[in-house]
Amino acid sequence: MPKITIAQNILAANDTIAQDIHTLLTIRGIRTINIMSSPGAGKTTLLERTIERLRGQLAVGVIEGDIETGNDAERIEAAGAETVQINTRGACHLEAHMVRDALEEINLTGIRLLFIENIGNLVCPAAWDLGEDIRVVIASTTEGDDKPAKYPQMFAISQLMIVNKIDLLPYVDYSLEKVKRQALAVNPNLRIFEVSCRTGEGLDVWCGWLSAFVNGTT
Amino acid sequence: MHELAIAQSIVEAVETKASECKATHVKVVRLKIGEASGVVTDSLTFCFEMLASLDPILAGTQLSIDTLPHRAFCRSCNREFSVMNFIAQCPTCKEWSNEIVTGTELQILEMEFET
Repeated sequence: MPKITIAQNILAANDTIAQDIHTLLTIRGIRTINIMSSPGAGKTTLLERTIERLRGQLAVGVIEGDIETGNDAERIEAAGAETVQINTRGACHLEAHMVRDALEEINLTGIRLLFIENIGNLVCPAAWDLGEDIRVVIASTTEGDDKPAKYPQMFAISQLMIVNKIDLLPYVDYSLEKVKRQALAVNPNLRIFEVSCRTGEGLDVWCGWLSAFVNGTT
Repeated sequence: MHELAIAQSIVEAVETKASECKATHVKVVRLKIGEASGVVTDSLTFCFEMLASLDPILAGTQLSIDTLPHRAFCRSCNREFSVMNFIAQCPTCKEWSNEIVTGTELQILEMEFET
């Protein structure tokens, strides 16, 4: 029986589109961040607070991924960023072709920093390259502090972890030391920020890092 | 949960190849899946069989999966070791390694077909 070698990555079709996206955005001088977390960790709130703080300094665009509704895109637009909503209608992660289509709808003029807010899920988004420069995972103190050990792939493929809701630390059984230790065990190069989107604590440091990242001085 | 999307990608890649080879039926598709790739092979097989049944050329195609262990290389000790729970720390010298040898594969290796 004839046999043929295929020897290609299963996600090759996705990866090719992701590379095209990366090239397109790089040529336009836009840095791109894929933001991932479980539902409710604070992805949209972090983006709202970040956009507000960077207003006047750095033009931000957001591709907003959700299974249903345009609620988050409305919040982001109100915060002052160019936004386009992707509804995956059930799919548990964003794929590169969805981002490619979204890029045709968003006005990129002047934008220097593009966030792609992925679907709230700590498993599936890890497998799909969207053409981003870096991947950020948000952990929050209202989740268990064992998330990096339970969902190691997500923390292994991210370059940066943000621990959100640190204002709630006095009220929850959450060990910052433990979450950082577990995250660094699966990814010793992970950069970690601690923030509270509610009180604003840590957001200046985060926004300072973002400005440096966009200006290529990180 | 994303195994369905992975299975869809396999079906599309195999359909393209089958058409190029003028295959009348694909008998076997061989994959290489790393244990740290985040894919549950039983779910992947289930999803693949479901999608393959919709295409006469792929109906009944057997998915053969080689699973690769998660292993890293330690430069200090000059040896490979098993990565446990994604923690790539050498059991001998306790150094962290960023040289993953196997375990993250998501590959279609080959297919057998009839013409």
